[in-house]
Amino acid sequence: MFNVMIRFKFYKKDEFKYLSHLDISRIIIRALNRAGFNPVYSQGYNPRPKISFSNPTPLGVESFAEYGDVSIENNIEEEDFKKRINMELKEEIQVTEARKVPVKIDSLMSQIDISLYIFVLDTGNSGKARQEKFYKGIVGLIRKSDFSDSIFDLKKVTSGKATNIILLKLFGYAKIFKEKDNRIFKFNSFYLFLGDLLEKYGIKINDVKKEELFVIKGKSLKTPIEII
Amino acid sequence: MGDIKRLDFELLEELLEGIEKPGRYINKEIGTKSKNLGLPEDFSGMVFMALVFPDIYEVGMSNLGIQIIYDIVNKYKDFSVERVFSPWVDFEKKLKDCNVKIFSLENRIFLDCFDLVGFSVQHEMLYTNILNILDLGGINAHSEQRGENTPLVGAGGSAVVNPQPLSKFMDFFVIGDGEEVVVDILKKVKIYKKNNKSKSWLLKEISRLDGVYVPRFYKFYYYKNGLIKKFEPCKKVKKAVVRKLDKFNVVTDPIIPNIRTVHDRYIVEIMRGCWRGCRFCQAGIIYRPVRKREVESLIKQSVSGIKNTGYDEISFLSLSSSDYEKIEHLVEGVTGALKSKRLSISMPSMRLNSFNLRFLELIQSGRKTGLTFAPEAGTQRMRDIINKNIKEDEMLECIKMAFGKGWEKIKLYFMIGLPFENEQDIKGIVELVEKIINVARNEVPGRKLRRLKINISINAFCPKPFTPFQWVGLESPESLKKKFSYILSNTPKRYINIKWSDPERSLIESALSRGSELLCDVIENAWKNGAKFDNWSDFFNFGIWEKAFKNSGVDISLFTTRNFPVDEILPWDVIDIRVKKSSLLKEYEKSGKYV
Repeated sequence: MFNVMIRFKFYKKDEFKYLSHLDISRIIIRALNRAGFNPVYSQGYNPRPKISFSNPTPLGVESFAEYGDVSIENNIEEEDFKKRINMELKEEIQVTEARKVPVKIDSLMSQIDISLYIFVLDTGNSGKARQEKFYKGIVGLIRKSDFSDSIFDLKKVTSGKATNIILLKLFGYAKIFKEKDNRIFKFNSFYLFLGDLLEKYGIKINDVKKEELFVIKGKSLKTPIEII
Repeated sequence: MGDIKRLDFELLEELLEGIEKPGRYINKEIGTKSKNLGLPEDFSGMVFMALVFPDIYEVGMSNLGIQIIYDIVNKYKDFSVERVFSPWVDFEKKLKDCNVKIFSLENRIFLDCFDLVGFSVQHEMLYTNILNILDLGGINAHSEQRGENTPLVGAGGSAVVNPQPLSKFMDFFVIGDGEEVVVDILKKVKIYKKNNKSKSWLLKEISRLDGVYVPRFYKFYYYKNGLIKKFEPCKKVKKAVVRKLDKFNVVTDPIIPNIRTVHDRYIVEIMRGCWRGCRFCQAGIIYRPVRKREVESLIKQSVSGIKNTGYDEISFLSLSSSDYEKIEHLVEGVTGALKSKRLSISMPSMRLNSFNLRFLELIQSGRKTGLTFAPEAGTQRMRDIINKNIKEDEMLECIKMAFGKGWEKIKLYFMIGLPFENEQDIKGIVELVEKIINVARNEVPGRKLRRLKINISINAFCPKPFTPFQWVGLESPESLKKKFSYILSNTPKRYINIKWSDPERSLIESALSRGSELLCDVIENAWKNGAKFDNWSDFFNFGIWEKAFKNSGVDISLFTTRNFPVDEILPWDVIDIRVKKSSLLKEYEKSGKYV
């Protein structure tokens, strides 16, 4: 039998952000079955489909960078895989990329080093001056902080008249519990770090999203698909 | 009723902040079939029904009845049915704190905007949850106090074969199979809505249907002591029966839950009813007659169900699956057609013997999940009394074979407090367990023996309406406790895990199942004082119920420990279950022959 391993990237948004890692796993397996793919099963007492995923995204956070590795018994083209599985999934969860994995590789969990989160901060209708003040405050705070390396992007968004949105993109450890040093932000400590400032200026977090996952390759960052 | 009001997604997001398992409240499963709501004029003629399961999502979505009714009703273009489940306590609190009414999953329609609210009630301990949901939906619990512009509220399911304890809360009940009568009711609701008819017109109309009981058209008269003197009119309501199961296809495209449910698999009903005639068993009577699905179409539909859902497990459901003669052909047909797929098969309620153990081994394809035996009683005498046709040596033979083949988990079901029970019957349970341990010692190699666990579940016998034992009183909790502690202290701890049902819960359960109209006040009182999820042992609060009986001036023993004289008018005599009361009585008398 010809087994093929496919690494795929998918998003989960809207209602699906409320589904856990394990729920998503079951949903994907059933979608594979419906699409007519036969997942390869593990050996042993309680055989399970060979499928693994990237690190769990906190419940309630949308993610545009979920990755999975699955072995199936069908020889299939990447585009075809994507098309067929997407037909079996709701629009809130769709595969955006798929690539065959030619050689044995490490698991996603052990490969991925960095995740990138976007925080959409809402300064309310408190006026431009206030937004400016908060913006300076946050810049100062982060620049001075231990994890100044974490900032990927920080910008004010102006669309039309509204000037109340600040986009903050932060790199974070993918491995939440792995304590290397304090120079990189951890998702769990976001409120600990920025909580006071948010409160002081009455800033609301409109949205949090996981945008991408990276593997450190030499001096550059590569996505889990790029490294194949 | 009137305008359809819905909860928008942004508000839902706010409500879900910090809520446990938010996946319970989001809908978006594959297989939902409620109508999409476009412009109001698109659904102006539509009848909206809320199908309510008064327990949490994970339990409700494991129920086949919900999937069946949902499927049948949503096939009609003029009807749209949406699901509602009990919110877990954290979400209930959030709804109350934020002053938001409970809503359906699909289109997040608030409960009081539906035309019809239909509860599916599987057992008595959910009665308080029903009141809770009505309250969360802003719907008055009392049928009489609900005006013309409130939804019609009804209930069906196996618990309501005795509708009396809920009779003040429901406008109508569906007794028996729901497949046909629910549609007939909805057709009447459509006329009622379109022509602006009155509620009493509607209730009159549906009361003519088989299986529909409308409490307000009946009047019960009581003696001073609370017993029923008579009821009027003396016309009984006939149970609704679907003559041929094959008239309705198996649901091959059910809703596939996004989160893990209690029974997370594809479920197919192969047979309804059971001819075994265990005298304590209510399902055995109320689901009569025995009806089987035709095997070839069952194979075809099961295969397409597995392909449509992507499940890797199928469950062939019935009250006694090994009594479906063509079960082997069914299993072979399904596995043969799905050869390339991994498929495990589960068969709840299989009566195990050495013959079908081989079969079970085959279908479990090497995976040895637990085996369940239900001897129910410890002696042959007692098993004859209850008409449980299991012979001890056959069972031991089967267990011996199972241990030899590598099964390690065995579960046994017993009941205590059965009619005519004596000391020897209780000792018999202990002796039977000892015999099983001895079989294990001989059959299971030492290394494995150490981790052997035999799970024993001991339930108090609760007399149920429409059984030959419906007249028998529940044994007192004190006596049940004594019997249980005898069993507990006389069975070896080493290999045995004993669970038992709280006798105080059994007391309430039996009051609710054999209760009359008088129980309505008790249930309402208990609910007002915080009773809900009474089926969950960490929620059940006996004190609340005790007080509720006291406050309502109802003597609990009237419905529980008391033996009903056979000529007494029973609360459920208003229902014709299509098994004669005299046949039940004959069976009851037969049981006494073995004493």
